[in-house]
Amino acid sequence: MTEPAAAAAPHRSGARPLGAVLCTAGLALLCWPHLVTSAVGLELVAAAFWIWSRVAEDAHAQVSRWAWLRRPAQALWLAVAIHAALPTMGHAAMAEARGAFELLRWLESGAVVWAGLELLAALPLARPFSDLPGPLLAMRPWLPVMLPAAGFLVLWQHAEHWRDVAVVRGAASYLLLVTALLGTLRAFGRRQWAASLRWLMISDSAIAALMVATAAVKSEVSVLLWVGSCGGRAFLLAGELRGASPRRGPLQSGLWRIAAWTASAALAWPALLVLGFERGRFDPLLFSVASVPVALTAWVTVGRLVEAPERRRMTRLDASASLGHVAALLTLALGPLALVIAWWGGFEAAWPGSVVAMLPATLGGVGAWLRSRGLGVAGEIAAPADAGTGAADGTPRSPARGGAAASRAVARGTFHLVIAVERRLVLFVGGLGRALVSPIRDLHTGDAQEYLLLVVGIAVLALVLPLLQ
Amino acid sequence: MIVAAFAPFASGALPAAIALLAAGLLLALDRRGRALGYALAPLAALLPFAAAVAAPGRGGPMWAALAVGLAVALLARDRDDLLHSECALKLVWVMVPALALSWAGLELLTLATGTPVVLEQWAVLDLGLDPPFLWSTALPLSLITGLVLLGAAPFHFWVADVFQGSRPWFAPLAVVALQLAGAGWILWRLGGVEAFAPAASLTGGLLGIAAGTAFVAGAATLLVQRRPERRVGTLASLHGALALAALAAAHGGRASVAPAGAGLAAWGAHLALALTGASTLARFLPVASGAASPGSALLRRHPAAGVVGLFALLSLAGVPGTPGARIWLDVARDLAVAGRSWALLTLAGAWLAAFAVAMQQLREAFGVPVVSPSLERPVPAPARAALWLAGAGLLALGVAWAGAARPS
Repeated sequence: MTEPAAAAAPHRSGARPLGAVLCTAGLALLCWPHLVTSAVGLELVAAAFWIWSRVAEDAHAQVSRWAWLRRPAQALWLAVAIHAALPTMGHAAMAEARGAFELLRWLESGAVVWAGLELLAALPLARPFSDLPGPLLAMRPWLPVMLPAAGFLVLWQHAEHWRDVAVVRGAASYLLLVTALLGTLRAFGRRQWAASLRWLMISDSAIAALMVATAAVKSEVSVLLWVGSCGGRAFLLAGELRGASPRRGPLQSGLWRIAAWTASAALAWPALLVLGFERGRFDPLLFSVASVPVALTAWVTVGRLVEAPERRRMTRLDASASLGHVAALLTLALGPLALVIAWWGGFEAAWPGSVVAMLPATLGGVGAWLRSRGLGVAGEIAAPADAGTGAADGTPRSPARGGAAASRAVARGTFHLVIAVERRLVLFVGGLGRALVSPIRDLHTGDAQEYLLLVVGIAVLALVLPLLQ
Repeated sequence: MIVAAFAPFASGALPAAIALLAAGLLLALDRRGRALGYALAPLAALLPFAAAVAAPGRGGPMWAALAVGLAVALLARDRDDLLHSECALKLVWVMVPALALSWAGLELLTLATGTPVVLEQWAVLDLGLDPPFLWSTALPLSLITGLVLLGAAPFHFWVADVFQGSRPWFAPLAVVALQLAGAGWILWRLGGVEAFAPAASLTGGLLGIAAGTAFVAGAATLLVQRRPERRVGTLASLHGALALAALAAAHGGRASVAPAGAGLAAWGAHLALALTGASTLARFLPVASGAASPGSALLRRHPAAGVVGLFALLSLAGVPGTPGARIWLDVARDLAVAGRSWALLTLAGAWLAAFAVAMQQLREAFGVPVVSPSLERPVPAPARAALWLAGAGLLALGVAWAGAARPS
């Protein structure tokens, strides 16, 4: 144990509950539909991560790893400040604004979108956070799951602040689409089911946010679809960390497979309809791009969610099993129920479009199901030793398994390539900014003479400016 | 009823007294071991600064020169302290040419109009007898002293230098008094300028550009500061930019806003208290190392006093919920009403930078837990008392403002 870590030990007992209280309060505040409460909520979540980080064993790594969480909170504070500074200008009035006031309107919507997108891993600044363990040991795999949920809540609760600005909405839609694609690629590339689940939550949240951006369905429908999809995955993740309980037994694993697929398909369907068939015209490019994450999500959901082998001679009957059944049934029901509510509220789909929009999820799910039956149980989730040229027992790998490993490697490679390019770009922009700022910093060398020179320079400028008028 | 009880804090007198008392505590700490009467003698020299905070804008233009002279004399008195001498030298180098240039501008205006009285000058200029070149050159020159004294960028360096180089008891009151003298100088020079529309338009544009530049350069400077004292100093210079922005909003804007002088007392009162707390705290904070490093001994051993000091720092940065946020917000509203949207944009950027740096400072102050706390440098009781005084004053100021439509 390192020196700071040893010293941190006594502080941990107090930091854990304090962080938990702050994090819970922060998430609760995010559900409140006011910018101020959301900003305070994000600030509390960031504070909770910092409190946990500073007493973690690897405090130095954790503190810098989660420092970015202040950025979304800061962005929301900016939106709050713009609203406070222009109290007489509501959104209707600001829509008429021109010049710099129009820029302020863009800034406000951009700030809200920034906060939501960064938490959704949709900005290239902190995109791979879901691969990194959280600062609190007891909840490490859980903490990054909360962040995309918080991001969706920000975008959903404050849609009125950003959806009316076409530029911001367009940019956000593009970034969300890319995030959904990258998220499913990463989920497909990861071998561990728990890691895949975390990335699927990001992908689902991005698709749900895309639905908010396009206003495909009513606000309450989009949140219901998101709860069905991400809530089911959150339950699966919780069960996976407690002995893979949702995958124990053929009935429960089969039920969860159908439920998770139904929820994600129900979530993606309206989004695909709006993106691919806007104003009754088919947009093949946009539809194809949006179909890839939907199909991949269905593939991973159905293909990876396989029955876990029972380690006991006799299956123990416990309450969590029945809770798992109830949760699966709830997840199964939420998606279709939300769509019925949407239909009741006036959402209609044209005949060929509604079927075509169902195709990616259906093809992905059916394809994965057929393949898993061909490979046998756990055919998709290979043992870690399967990553090489042969299986764990040294026998030659079947062509099907080899194909799965190769496709996973391609997905991993694509994801890493995109992240590397993004990182280079961010570093370049950061370097450019530093280069621009450094003259300002270097302007003051500390010599007293430079003060005199500056004052004289300003005075000369004051004399010259009227001549230039 | 409760709010009314805190009303005296809204004027500058009580905050000035608190800042003076805190300065006395820090002075006693600085001169431990000497006879109390001798140790506290410099307080007499600080009294004019406190009076300037208590009644801002009443000294007239001569007060600016006197305040500069007094600050330089106090700094130069301690010849053994190299940093003090350096600060004195820098102040002389920057202030004397600024005063000389402004004096030249004032004389040119007198020459052009035939009268040294400001209100009469506008009336004469309004006749249109003089060529515009003369007065439009002389007017910006006459404002230079105000800009330099306010410490707004690009004249922001002296504020951070004074906070880093001078003794803790000196910097807060002296800087606030000099900044108030700067604001008072500009207010005096622009008194009744509305009577001559071209001059009002020229100065409004000039102050708007100066405020925008001050916000941008100040924010960029703040982001690269590592020493807590320099951060406090740069935040003070951003408050100078706020004063400039308020003046720009009051002159030559699309719509008329309340005269900037009305908020001067509130601005000065808050600045005196916040700078007292933040600069005292800064002496006990670690220099930013870029990574998670051990926190401050103050926050480990006396967390309550540390938090009170952080409250002052956060208020200086305008963090929502603190009294300082009200100052930033009111200036932003004034700029919006006056139609100075570009200045408003730069103010938003500066506020974001200030907020981010203040929160970063807060995290660095707490740091990560370390071993061997017994070897830590003790935190003297007078310094903690100064922190408590400033924090209590700020809290009372916030309560007093809570009942008012806007601090004035």
